[in-house]
Amino acid sequence: MDKKIYEQLQETIYTETLENGLRVTLLPKNDFHKTYGLFSTNFGSIDNQFVPRGKTEMITVPDGIAHFLEHKLFEKEDGDVFNTFGRLGASANAFTSFTKTAYLFSSTNHVSESLNTLLDFVQEPYFTDATVNKEKGIIAQEIQMYEDEPDWRLYFGVLGNMYPKHPLHIDIAGTVDSIMDITPELLYENHATFYHPSNMSLFVVGKLDPEETMQLIRENQSKKEFLPVEPIERIFPEETIQDIKPYDFIQMSVNRPKSIVGVKGVTEIPSGVKALAYKTTMDLLLTLLFGPTSANYLNLYDKGIIDDSFSYEFNLDRTFHFVDIGGDTKDSVVFSDEIKKILLDAKNSSELTEENLTIVKKRMIGQELQSLNSLEYIANQFSQPSYGEATLFDVVPIIESVTLTEIKKAADEFMVEDHMTTFHILPKGENEA
Amino acid sequence: MSIQLNEGVHLHVLPTKKYKTIRIMLKFRAPLNKKTVTKRAMLANLLETNSKKYPTQTALRSALSNMYGASFGTGVSKKGNTHILSMSINLVNEKYLSKGDNVLQESIDFLKEIIFQPNVTDGQFNDKTFKREKANLVDYYDSLFDDKQTYASLALQELFFENVDQQTPSVGSKEDLEEISAASLYEYYQDVLNHDKVDIYVLGDVDENEIRSAFKQFEFAPRKVLKSSSFYNEPAANEVENKTEQQEITQAKFNLGYTTAIFYHDPLYYAAQVFNGLFGGFPHSKLFMNVREKESLAYYASSSMDTFRGMMTVQTGIDGQKVDQVREIIALQLKEMQAGNFTDEAISQTKEMLKNQLFQSEDNAGAVIERIYALELAKETILSIDEWVARIEKVTKEDIIEVANKVKLKATFFLTAEAK
Repeated sequence: MDKKIYEQLQETIYTETLENGLRVTLLPKNDFHKTYGLFSTNFGSIDNQFVPRGKTEMITVPDGIAHFLEHKLFEKEDGDVFNTFGRLGASANAFTSFTKTAYLFSSTNHVSESLNTLLDFVQEPYFTDATVNKEKGIIAQEIQMYEDEPDWRLYFGVLGNMYPKHPLHIDIAGTVDSIMDITPELLYENHATFYHPSNMSLFVVGKLDPEETMQLIRENQSKKEFLPVEPIERIFPEETIQDIKPYDFIQMSVNRPKSIVGVKGVTEIPSGVKALAYKTTMDLLLTLLFGPTSANYLNLYDKGIIDDSFSYEFNLDRTFHFVDIGGDTKDSVVFSDEIKKILLDAKNSSELTEENLTIVKKRMIGQELQSLNSLEYIANQFSQPSYGEATLFDVVPIIESVTLTEIKKAADEFMVEDHMTTFHILPKGENEA
Repeated sequence: MSIQLNEGVHLHVLPTKKYKTIRIMLKFRAPLNKKTVTKRAMLANLLETNSKKYPTQTALRSALSNMYGASFGTGVSKKGNTHILSMSINLVNEKYLSKGDNVLQESIDFLKEIIFQPNVTDGQFNDKTFKREKANLVDYYDSLFDDKQTYASLALQELFFENVDQQTPSVGSKEDLEEISAASLYEYYQDVLNHDKVDIYVLGDVDENEIRSAFKQFEFAPRKVLKSSSFYNEPAANEVENKTEQQEITQAKFNLGYTTAIFYHDPLYYAAQVFNGLFGGFPHSKLFMNVREKESLAYYASSSMDTFRGMMTVQTGIDGQKVDQVREIIALQLKEMQAGNFTDEAISQTKEMLKNQLFQSEDNAGAVIERIYALELAKETILSIDEWVARIEKVTKEDIIEVANKVKLKATFFLTAEAK
């Protein structure tokens, strides 16, 4: 077990990669009542074309299968795993993202039993025709709930424009039709491929003793048999800049129009610590251009083009990276035109000054430190595979190190008109000229 | 430690070494009244936007950024008969910063500036800011329609309560906003500053005496505070009121409101928590197990209690065609609870979950302050976590059945797709 101390933050991290390939990270925080465990696999909604373990042919699986599998792992022959956690007084949950599926518990008592339950239920699948078919109705309702959520539709609208072929444009839960094709056999095959310990990580944070906890995990894992470690082959469709759809819109039952601008990253994604530095550079760029201390923000806000729903992000993950900037607006066309104008002129923007950078960095460092109060935030950040050995606790020195020159260079390279797209949501019956 | 800074103005210092941050929360409270709710929502928006010293949002946000990104925000909420205007700032404890900044003192000075030096000229709020925030609040009211879960729960609230103050959302209403001017709002702000009950909470690794002397600088005048109860009691209905509304949506929302006549820290309060957990509060509850897991009728079907208004709400997202079946299953689950058809194991499981929830909330600085403030509103002495747990443990099956029999359906709201 390796131990790493972060002096300034007063935190100590313990890590170990078990024989079966499982990466375990422990972070004791003994002032807390709670212990939070997050068990995640490097498998999300975009992984729909791969070679199953033990086979040689590439297959394509129905959309939404990673999320379906997440739901179904909670049901066992002897009942629902929620009941097992309930008896231990622990709360449990799970989520599926584009690149990850994660299972978690949080508990203030019976922590050892909860941790064993977490490891066991995720690693011991049980699917039958009856349980799989029953889940289809529940997930269909979940999909339909999201269909009525304008912000979700806006986000998938802009993703669809940027990634018309890459599975990123597909709703994480799939569609009401696609989930009908899911069978117990397919679920077992996906589980065997992606839930191998070497494709997974376990993070436990909160009230815990590192030696005892690691020992418990080792014992739990050594009792189980796993196939040898093998790399997973996946493929993603090739996309060119010409594939980007510059504009689209839909109508929904809303009062307020919504607008979003996307910029697709088309260069190769850096990996490891460099990825974290790149993400930080882009975050600083966007905050300089659109953050609450920027003149742009004030100008757009005072003109009524943006309101408190305005948000921007740089998203970087396995196989993709993009910028999206959106919100409610009185005029969706004016919104996207103004945002694009600012982005295209970014490298020459009067917002990019040393003075502004100092302010923005201070704020980002402070917010990073504030978020360290949340065990959930810490666990989620640690389970991101994209940053290699770099962790959440390395973020502050990275923020400090980014220079204005690097930010201008990133702006120049990233903000290209052909890589941009807009998507609008209009109230029913309204059209754009 | 609670200190009276002046009559009706209290400072509560809660020292702990657990967090990397310090949280300061100011709460102004007044009796809930439809006539003032919208004004209070407007005040929250204006005070968050700028001040005399920081006349633009950029100036104000730059000041916060310079305090290592201190998070500042305002908000409005209601609890029973009380309306609360709150203001909070969350800042990084200086010991985690490389340089010797005095972020704590700066934050307290910042709050003092925001509260006592608003952006006011000639007895009225800055006109440009006022107009902008008024337009934004109108847009916000309009956008409540866009989130169908929020829309359905506000519609149920309007249907359930007969009292107009209770029907009104805590953020107010468009019709009342039209009447408000920059001058009349400033006049009302004087009323808030001079007559609202003020509670200030400071939680983090702080020195009590230092905090006390810092807040002594806040010039809050003494004020008489009425000893009225924060609880609102809605009479039970003889007949259930049902309302259906159609919109162009995919998923229907079916929400139900019940009277419980059980209030925060009543003798039956703890039994009501266990009841809610068994009925619809947790994934092992009757609603989750029957509406979702057994019949596959919903992704979410849950219940929650409002113990300042003696109300329970059930919320579901369903296929609109199946509403009658869902209604029947929910009614049946309540009957099962009333008849005592639940196991001792389920009771102890629910108690474990409630304890877990409680201990977990102690790890969240915001939740700790909210719990202490709720006790303050209920005029209860501060209960230790251990006492709380002991009271949960004491709940018997008979207590839970008694609660189930007090729960009476009063109104249902059904939001569904337009007939094709």
